Amino acid sequence: MSWYEQFLVIGTLLPLVSFVLLVFFGHRLGKPNSGWFAVAGMGISCVLATIVLAGWHGLDPAEQAELQAGAYRFEWASMGDMPITLGVKLDSLTVIMFFMVTFVSFWIFVFSIGYMSGHSDEIDGQSKYHRFFTFLSLFGFSMLGLTVSSSLLFLFVFWELVGLCSYFLIGFYFDKKFASDAGIKAFVVNRVGDFGFLFGLMMVFTFLGTLDLDQAAREFAFQYEAGSGVFGTTINLFGWEVSGMTLATLMGIGLFCGAIGKSAQFPLHVWLPDAMAGPTPVSALIHAATMVAAGVYLVARVFRLLTPDAQLFVAVIGCITLTMTALIAIVQTDIKKVLAYSTLSQLGYMIFGLGVGAWVAALFHLMTHAFFKAMLFLGSGQVIEGCHHEQEITKMGGLRKKMPFTCWTFFVGVLAIAGAGIPWTSLGLGGFHSKDEILAVALQRTDYWPPEGVEAHHAAAPVDDGASYLLVSGSNQEGGGQAHGQPGHGEAQPGDQGQARHAIPPDAHTADQAAGAHGVDQHSLLALASGTKKLPRWMFWLPVIIAYVTPFYMMRVWWLTFMGKPRDEHVYEHAHEMKLMYVPLIVLAVGTAFASYWIFRPMLASAAPAATDATLIVGIDGHATDAGHAAGLMMPHAVHSNLAPIVGFAFVVGFVAAWLIYRNGLALATQISRMPVIGFFHRILVQKLYFDHVYNFVWVRGCQGFAWLCRLFDTYVIDLFFNLAAKITERFSAFSGWILDAEGVDGVVNGVADSMLKLGDTVRRPQTGRIRNYVLFAAGSAAVILLGILIGVRL
Amino acid sequence: MQTCSTYSRTVGWTTACGRRAVSAAALIVLLTLCAPVLAQDAPTPGQEAPSLALDAPAEVPAATSDSPVSAVLEAAFFYGFALVVIVSALAICISKNIVRMAVWLFITLGSVAVLYFLLAAYFIATIQLIVYAGGTLVLLIFGVMLTSKSPWARFEIKRGELLAAVVVSVLLAVALIGTLMGTEWPQDQPAEPHAVATLGTELLTTYLAPFEVASVLLLAVMIGAAYLARQEK
Amino acid sequence: MTFIGLNHYLVVAAIVFVAGVFVMMTKRNAIGILIGVELVLNAVNINLVAFGRYHSTGSVDGRILALFVIVLAAAEAAVAVAICTNFYKNLATIDVDRGDAAKG
Repeated sequence: MSWYEQFLVIGTLLPLVSFVLLVFFGHRLGKPNSGWFAVAGMGISCVLATIVLAGWHGLDPAEQAELQAGAYRFEWASMGDMPITLGVKLDSLTVIMFFMVTFVSFWIFVFSIGYMSGHSDEIDGQSKYHRFFTFLSLFGFSMLGLTVSSSLLFLFVFWELVGLCSYFLIGFYFDKKFASDAGIKAFVVNRVGDFGFLFGLMMVFTFLGTLDLDQAAREFAFQYEAGSGVFGTTINLFGWEVSGMTLATLMGIGLFCGAIGKSAQFPLHVWLPDAMAGPTPVSALIHAATMVAAGVYLVARVFRLLTPDAQLFVAVIGCITLTMTALIAIVQTDIKKVLAYSTLSQLGYMIFGLGVGAWVAALFHLMTHAFFKAMLFLGSGQVIEGCHHEQEITKMGGLRKKMPFTCWTFFVGVLAIAGAGIPWTSLGLGGFHSKDEILAVALQRTDYWPPEGVEAHHAAAPVDDGASYLLVSGSNQEGGGQAHGQPGHGEAQPGDQGQARHAIPPDAHTADQAAGAHGVDQHSLLALASGTKKLPRWMFWLPVIIAYVTPFYMMRVWWLTFMGKPRDEHVYEHAHEMKLMYVPLIVLAVGTAFASYWIFRPMLASAAPAATDATLIVGIDGHATDAGHAAGLMMPHAVHSNLAPIVGFAFVVGFVAAWLIYRNGLALATQISRMPVIGFFHRILVQKLYFDHVYNFVWVRGCQGFAWLCRLFDTYVIDLFFNLAAKITERFSAFSGWILDAEGVDGVVNGVADSMLKLGDTVRRPQTGRIRNYVLFAAGSAAVILLGILIGVRL
Repeated sequence: MQTCSTYSRTVGWTTACGRRAVSAAALIVLLTLCAPVLAQDAPTPGQEAPSLALDAPAEVPAATSDSPVSAVLEAAFFYGFALVVIVSALAICISKNIVRMAVWLFITLGSVAVLYFLLAAYFIATIQLIVYAGGTLVLLIFGVMLTSKSPWARFEIKRGELLAAVVVSVLLAVALIGTLMGTEWPQDQPAEPHAVATLGTELLTTYLAPFEVASVLLLAVMIGAAYLARQEK
Repeated sequence: MTFIGLNHYLVVAAIVFVAGVFVMMTKRNAIGILIGVELVLNAVNINLVAFGRYHSTGSVDGRILALFVIVLAAAEAAVAVAICTNFYKNLATIDVDRGDAAKG
C-alpha cells in the first residue's frame, strides 16, 4: 500500500470516526462544539487530500500508472471462485475528486456552524444541532468511500449510504410535513434508479465475472474484441431475440440508471427541487456539490463499460435534462429552487458531455461546478438566514448594501456558471473552459463526424499492426476551419506520417509513444469512430441555446436579490451577514476563479481511461496533456475555434437580456409573462412541465385506481360468488342441521368436549409449577424409555 | 481438629455441619493432593519420576504402566475414591440441611478430581479443584448465606413425592447401568495420556472458536449475574 | 495390565448422575437444586474424560469438552446464584414451591 492509498483510506475513515463519536457524545458536546468536532474530522481529511493531491501532481504519468497498477487489493469475500476485492482506486480522478469533496465539504461544514447557530431546532426538548453534524459526517464518510472504492460492489454500498444520508438531511426538519415528504420522495425516486443500477451490477457480475472496475473494463474490452462473453451471448426474452451487443448496451444503461436517479436526470429529476426543503448547507453540499455529482462520477467510472449505443442514450438523457430544467429555472421565484434547477441543468451538461465522449471535459465541468455551485448555495443560505428564512426573490432586492461579501462572491459564481471569459484566450472562469469543451466535442460529433479519412485508412490498415498509431487531426493552417483528418500510419506510410506531424502539436511524437505504451490500438479506435453514427444536429444546438439561457436566469436571480430597490422593507431591515458564513464564500470564490483550470484540467486529462475498442473518448488536440496521454480520438483544434463565435459571447447576451428585463424590478417581467403565447409557456414552466402532476396521476393515482378496481372486483365478483355459496350452504345446513346436527352431531360434540374438559383437568394436575416434579417426570420418562429399549433388545 | 473448632467458633454454623463431615473433607483434600504423586509412583526404568502431574510429558504413561504394582495401586485408588464419590453423592441426597449438602458436595467434587487424576487428565483434575471446589462451591455457600435467614431451615416434601422420586431414581439407575453394561464399547485399553501443552495447543487452534465463544459467554454471565443480583433502587 | 476399565468409571458416573437427579427431585431449596445440577454435570464430565481416556485414537476431544462443561457449569452457577438471591429478594424465601406462577 503506497502512502497515497493510506492517506486516502485514513481520510475516508476520519469522518466515520467523528460520526461514531458524535453519535455517542454529540448531545454532550452541545451546540457549537459538536459542529467543530465534525469540522475537525473533515478538516484533517482535507489536509490529507491536499497532501495527496500535491504529491500526485508531482508524479509523471508513468509513475502514476505504476502506483495505480500496484494498488493494494484486499480480498473481502469470494463467491465460488470469483473473489470480491476491496481497495482504493488510485488514479488522478480519485485524487482530484477526493480533494474536491473534502475541500468543499470542509468549508460547507464551517458555514453550517454559522448557519445552524441561528436556528431554534428543538424537538421534544432535544436539540437537533448535533444530529445535523452527525449526519453530515456520515455523509462525508460515504461520499469519500464512494470516491475511493475500487469495486462496483462497494461503490454501490456507499452509493446507498449516501442516499440514506440525503434522506436524513432532506428530512432534517421532519416535524414539517413538506420536509419529510421531500425526504421520502427523494428516497423513493432514487430507489427507482438504483433498481436499474443493481440490474446493471448483476449483469456485470454475470457476464464479466468481476466487480472490480479495472478488471471489468479489461474484460469488457477483451470480450468486445473477441466477440465472446456478453457479446457472444444471445438471449431469447419472451420471443425477443436479444443480441450480445444489445445486452451490453442494456448493461451500460442499467448502470447509468443509477446515475439518472442520483444525479437527478430526466425522468427522475423530480426529487432534487423538492430536496431544497433541507437546510441550505445540505443543499449546497449534497444537492449541488458532491452527492449529485456521484452519478456523474459513476458514469465516468463505468465509462469503459458503455457501448456506443449506451453512450448515445446517456447523451440524449443529458441533453433533454439540461434543456428542460434550464427553461424551468427561468420562472422559479424561490432562490434555492432556481439554483436547484440550474444544478440539474449543469448536471445535464456533464452527463451529455460523457455521452458524446468528452470524458475530460465533463469531469472538468463537474469540478468547476462543485466549487461555484457550493458557493452559490452558501450565498443563498446567507441570504436566507439573513432575511429570516425568506426564500422568495420577489421579496428581496437591494441586499448588496447589507451583504457586500455575499453579493460579490455570488456574482463570481454567476459569472462562473454563465461561462464568462474572453473567447480565443484561456482567460475565463471555470465554467468558461469546461462548458466550452463539452460543446466543442458535441460540435465535432454532430458536424464533423466521422473524422475524414477514417474509413479509407481503416480499409488500408493491416489488422495485426499493433505498432501503428493514428491521430485524427485537422490541419488548421490549410483547412480554414474545416477538419481534414490526416491519418498517420507509423513506418508503413512515412509520407503521411510527416503530414500528420505537421498538423499535430510538437509533442505529438511523445504522444505516439505514450499511445504505444498504453497499448491503444488506434485502428480499432477509428473503426469504432467510423462505425459510430453522426449525432443529430439538435444535440449540438440545444446545449448551445441553453448556454444563452443559463446566464439569463443566473443574472435574473442575482439582480433581483442584490440589486435594484428593496421590495420588502421588513426583509431588508433585518438583513445582515455573519463572518463565519462569508469566509467560506470567499475561499470558494477564489477556488472557482483560479484553481480549476490550471490544476484540475491537466490532471483530469491524465486520469482519462485509456481508450479501448469499445469506448469512444474524444480529447482536444490543443491540450498537450490530452495528446500526451493519447486518451482517445483527438479533436482538431479548428473545431474548437469554430465554436468561439457561436457561444463565446453567450454570457454577455444573457446578462444584458436579464438586465433589460429586471433592472426596474418585476413589473416588466410580469407584463411579458402575461403576453398571449409567452403566457402559455410561462404557465407550463411555472408548473415545472407538469412532471409532478403526471407522476402523481400515473403512479400515485394509478396505484389508487388499481386498488379501486381490485376493490370493485372484490365487491361485485368475489363477494357475489361467496354470497351465493353462502346462501346455498345456509339452505343446506338448515336442512341438515334439522336432521343430523341437533341430535347426532351435537351429542358427539358435547361428549368430546366434556371428555376434553376432563382430560384437560387431568393434564393440568401435573403442572404443579414445581421444578422438582418436572424433573421427576423427565427422569421417569427417561428411565422408562431406557428400560423399554433394554428389554426390547433383550427380547 | 483444633483448627476446625476454632473455625466453627468463629463462623458459628459449622457445628451444624458435623465434625465428621468436616474431618472427612480435610482428609479428602489431603488425599487429593497426594493422589497424583501416588498414582505414578512406578516410573519406567531409566526415567525419573516427574514430581508434578502437570509437568508429566506425554511419553510418560502414569497409570497405564504394565507393572502389576501400579495396576493394583490404581485399582485400589479407584475403588477407594469411587466409593467416596458415591457415598458422598448419596449423602447429599439424604441430608436435609443445605450446609451439610454443600460440604458433601465439596467432598464429591474433590474425589471426582482424583478420578480425573486416575484417568490421566491432570489438567482437568486441577481445573476441577480450582474452579469447582474453589470457585463454584464458594459461590454456593455465598448463595446459602445470602438467601437464608437461618442456613439450616428445612423444607420438607410430601412423603408421596419422596416415594416417587426414590422409585424413579432406582429405575433410572437400573436402566442406565443396565444399558452401559450391555453395550459393547469399542475399546477398553487406555490410550496414551496427553501433555497439557497438547491440550493448550488444541484449545487455541482447533477449538479456538468455542474457546472465544466461551469467553464471551463468561463476560455475558458476569454482566448478567451482576445485573440480576444488583441492589434495587 | 490393568484392572480398571471404562465400565467402572461409567458406573460411577451413572450413580452420581442418578444422585444428582434425585437431589433435583427432592429438594425444595433452590440452592439444593443447584447442587443437584452440579452433580449431574460432574457425572457427565466423568463420562467425557473416561471416554477420552479409553478412546483408541487418543484424541483430546473428551477433555476439551469436559473443560467447556466446567466453564459452563461455573457460568451457570453464577447466574443461578444471582437468580436465587433475586428470588429471595422478591419472595423473602428460598423455597422454590413459592415460585409457582407457572402452575397449570
